[in-house]
Amino acid sequence: MSRRIDWPDLLLGLFLLLVATGTLVATRKLGVGTAANMGPGYMPRVIAIAVILFGLFFTGRGLLRSHLGIAQVHLRPLLAIPLAVALFSLLVEVAGLAVASLITILAAAYATHEVRAREAVIFGVVIAAASVLLFVKVLSLPLPIWPPDLFG
Amino acid sequence: MELLDNLMLGLSTAFQFKNLLFCLIGALIGTAIGVLPGIGPIPTVALLLPFTFGLEPASAMIMLAGIFYGAQYGGSTTAILVNVPGETSSVVTCIDGHEMARQGRAGTALAIAALSSFFAGTVATVVIAVLSLPLSALALKFTAVEYFSLLVLGLIAAVVMAHGSVMKSLAMVLLGLLIGLIGIDVNSGVARMTFGITELSDGIDFVPVAMGLFGLGEIIANLERKDERRVVTSQRFRDLMPSWADLKQAFPAMLRGTAIGSVLGVLPGGGAALPPFTAYALEKKVARDPSRFGKGAIEGVAGPEAANNAGAQTSFIPLLTLGVPSNALMALMIGALMMQGIQPGPQVMTEQPALVWGLIASMWAGNLMLLVINLPLVGVWVSMLKIPYRLLFPAIVLFCCIGTYGISNSLFNVWLMLGCAVIGYFFIKIGVEPAPLLLGLVLGPQLEENFRRALLLSDGDFTVFIRHPISAVLLGVVAILLLAMLSPAVLRKRKEALTE
Repeated sequence: MSRRIDWPDLLLGLFLLLVATGTLVATRKLGVGTAANMGPGYMPRVIAIAVILFGLFFTGRGLLRSHLGIAQVHLRPLLAIPLAVALFSLLVEVAGLAVASLITILAAAYATHEVRAREAVIFGVVIAAASVLLFVKVLSLPLPIWPPDLFG
Repeated sequence: MELLDNLMLGLSTAFQFKNLLFCLIGALIGTAIGVLPGIGPIPTVALLLPFTFGLEPASAMIMLAGIFYGAQYGGSTTAILVNVPGETSSVVTCIDGHEMARQGRAGTALAIAALSSFFAGTVATVVIAVLSLPLSALALKFTAVEYFSLLVLGLIAAVVMAHGSVMKSLAMVLLGLLIGLIGIDVNSGVARMTFGITELSDGIDFVPVAMGLFGLGEIIANLERKDERRVVTSQRFRDLMPSWADLKQAFPAMLRGTAIGSVLGVLPGGGAALPPFTAYALEKKVARDPSRFGKGAIEGVAGPEAANNAGAQTSFIPLLTLGVPSNALMALMIGALMMQGIQPGPQVMTEQPALVWGLIASMWAGNLMLLVINLPLVGVWVSMLKIPYRLLFPAIVLFCCIGTYGISNSLFNVWLMLGCAVIGYFFIKIGVEPAPLLLGLVLGPQLEENFRRALLLSDGDFTVFIRHPISAVLLGVVAILLLAMLSPAVLRKRKEALTE
């Protein structure tokens, strides 16, 4: 009988410890000051220490308490959605909103295995056109519609 | 009569043509996202925030508020017709509402839901108007000491009242506070935790954080589930007007629901989820024949619907009078105010009367519009349900990208949203509710400023927080709440109350 681990608690604990340690490292050069005259480093350190305590609590509980796993992670949506966002970010200023929208929609659509290629393309074109109209024309978001290099 | 003057000012603001228009837009968008499962009011409000910069503060707030209470209406429509709650607040409406629909009384159920919501919205508007003045008058006496304690109480109470583990929520609040500290320290001008990224010097924008954690993170998690088939009850809605007997049966439940919703809505952490559950439980208790519940009892629709709408609206009270948000959505509203250059707090009532009273009056106007939008147009909303999720979510992803970019026209925010999406998914996987993080993030800067000012004035003496009587009472309540949460008996009760 191997004792299993409460993964949600353990992961949360480790996450908190990571963030808090990162904070302490990032703010190590900031002055703490006194309570009456706090330096910029006072609050970050106080909160980071509190977060460390919580992190230790959850890590400990995760290791001691047994029997909780995590539902299976599906890689497809976890990769496709961030990829869609990343593509948008990379493309929008270079290739214009129309192209970036279409590609983002297509990449996101493939996050599910139910995707139908033709439907996704048609839908993507419609939504891309609608976003250009709504965001650039109506709400005047300062974004190029077409690749600026081609259409100067 | 100051109250009447204020209401008149509010009405004249709310009934300006452009504000009516924005109210209508908000209510329409709200209904739409309420109908559609898988997208809630939080990402929607976050998404639209950037585009409210150009508007006047009153118009912006009126529209954003419309989204919130519009979503409550829309959520009930799907609950009744499809047995899928569009929002968490309409989960209970499914029980008897959908049963009524299956018995061929869909029209009546929809009408009762809409009428109850309208009635509750109207009463709640008056409640807000009456309560706002004394509360803000009290809050105006607050110094940094009281304000710090009030913020702590707001944060802790929101955690205790909301779903999920208290310990995890507390950890999330702290995490939010920590993220809120990022940026240039106002007092010393030193950059904190910006890692040399110039975009971070003004602090982290909460819009990408909210959209990533609530919008995209949820989409990734939703996609892992099997797509459930939705069966729309196909009926002609000829019997839209409920009969007198129906109304007579539903009216007392409406009254009770409104009362419950109004009270619970004001409490931090209240808002939309708690009131309908409480109202349903009460209706079941006071009914002469409790066995009718679950079999299409009209009170089971009227009570919870009234409660959720009343709660949605009175949750604006702490926001307007004290500047303390009672839930994540109200935190977004505070953010919207700050983006408009208005520092939230009790002084808003006196400095921006047109904004506050216009917003209050617009809620009543909005509820009237929703009645019209929802009843005759119910067919339109139902047809929206036929859009499959596989088409819906890519569009949401795209709109989130564009919206995030729009806050400050920076790609950095889009990358930030990407990171938050992954973290949001991680939180869902490990069963952590991210709403407290958002509260902490929005309130963090204010909390620190008041804390530092209070200690500066008291010359570093921490007892100042218990020497000021109001502050001592507030912190006392915090202590009681925390102690109560540690007691196993209360924990069990709370769990029962929240899962029922």
